[in-house]
Amino acid sequence: MFDFLVRFQAMDRRWIFLGMAIAIVLPLLFPFKMPFRVDERVQALFDEVDRLPAGSRVLVSADFDPGSRPEIEPFYRANLHHLFRKDVKIVVLTLWESAPPLVQPILEEIAGIYGKTYGEDYVFLGYKAGREVAIKSIGADIPKTFPTDSRGTPVERIPVMRGIQKAADFALIVNVSSGNPGTKEYVMQIQGQYNLKLASSTTAVSGPDYIPFYKAGQLFGLAAGMPGSAQYEKLTFPDGKVPGGGKLMATASMDVLNLGHLYIMALILFGNLAYFITRRRD
Amino acid sequence: MELSTATLLGAWVSIFLTICILSFLYEDNPVYKLAEHLFLGVSIAVSVVEAYYGTFKPNMLDPVGRAATAVASGSDPGWDAVSVIPLLLCGVLFLKLVPKLSWVARIPIAFLVAMFAGLKLTGEANANLMTQVAESMPNLGQLWIDHGLWDWSADGAGVISGLVLVLGLCACLLHFYFSAPHNRPLRVVSRFGVLMLMFGFGASFGYTVMGRISLAIGRAQELLGLDRSLEQNAVVHPRIATLASIVLLVGVLAVWKLRGGKPESDEATES
Repeated sequence: MFDFLVRFQAMDRRWIFLGMAIAIVLPLLFPFKMPFRVDERVQALFDEVDRLPAGSRVLVSADFDPGSRPEIEPFYRANLHHLFRKDVKIVVLTLWESAPPLVQPILEEIAGIYGKTYGEDYVFLGYKAGREVAIKSIGADIPKTFPTDSRGTPVERIPVMRGIQKAADFALIVNVSSGNPGTKEYVMQIQGQYNLKLASSTTAVSGPDYIPFYKAGQLFGLAAGMPGSAQYEKLTFPDGKVPGGGKLMATASMDVLNLGHLYIMALILFGNLAYFITRRRD
Repeated sequence: MELSTATLLGAWVSIFLTICILSFLYEDNPVYKLAEHLFLGVSIAVSVVEAYYGTFKPNMLDPVGRAATAVASGSDPGWDAVSVIPLLLCGVLFLKLVPKLSWVARIPIAFLVAMFAGLKLTGEANANLMTQVAESMPNLGQLWIDHGLWDWSADGAGVISGLVLVLGLCACLLHFYFSAPHNRPLRVVSRFGVLMLMFGFGASFGYTVMGRISLAIGRAQELLGLDRSLEQNAVVHPRIATLASIVLLVGVLAVWKLRGGKPESDEATES
């Protein structure tokens, strides 16, 4: 046993990678559907969106790139389904240069499922460079920040933008954020100044940084990482069926997350145990 | 279902490059380097193009062009002429390359620093300082009314959590108080502060691990074709692409090894 513990500590790290690969691939191929609960932050986000009356207008700032797709694209999709289903009008924009090819097709696809008309029910304003300066400008004057939509139509001619002058004119703002510029910058630059109702879906890495914003009421809801997306999917599609035949990608990944974490916890515990036992014997 | 050749090719290239990057887990190798350099090159190219078309052209070059045309035709250039100033400041930045005139480049840098200081100061003070300081003083009476001592249904909110927040915050701050010797009473408080910090770092580490596993899940879903519809999979055949990429990569790495290939780090050690 002692020899095994010594050898375990000197084990080639590639065995650990192989173990992790198995822990990821197996539950994806053979899901066992472990249960998970919805936390208070995601429930608050869902409830606030669910309370919106039909015809309200919501600003979705989709600020993510291919690197964070697995974590927050499922939320973006579920949120669009939820908003369109509630007959809410959606204005999408992005502050990330790599986002438009990701976020626009998804918006068009989900709008198509619900038979929504571009310009009447939703619009994609496109990408704006400038990071925090752009956010500051969105807070003060949206037509000045985005004179046209992504198709080049002047915003004053777009019905869904009629009467929208600044960020505070929206019933809610949902920031799908995978970093900077994102939720922190929205909170810092305009949330407090204009008293905006802001929610965030973010990566797991940023999650702990934004929890204080939720606790302080600067965010009315927060969905962090893949579990946050899975919880929102669970609330939006309680029967597990997505209109248009889509998949619940985050929900399908929860088994993998659970098994992956158990694997890492086991390695940490066993590694420490081996270290202390062999050190004592030495 | 029909997919364009670009989409089909893109899917296969994406799968092949994913396998190339993952090959680093076995060992540093030329195929990984190829994928890494490709990624960097494409990222930088996209950023440069986006910066040009998203910022420089609409905000600076177009107005300058309009102003020049207006001046040439004898009409009033209006506010477009002001865009010459950022153009000049941009040009001045490059004087850093001329040692005798490099000091002039400090002028646009001073503008940048001042602008960001102004932008950040109010935001940081309001969002990160004032509001968070106010929230670190919970109303214990209200917590008792709303949640009692400990409310499992609200992630443990209650009087106990409120006290832990206040005491933990004070202990953390005292840990970084160096104007008095950390003798016995202060050492105990300081230890408690360290414990609180460790809890915080542990939570951050846990979330980071979760984020990394999520990224691995995203790649695995693509390699196994779980992120596409059945119709798309019937055209793309992601699992065949994955298998073909693995076979190709193993073959290339075997040839590389047989020809005496070594990871760059080993070569650096030897030399």
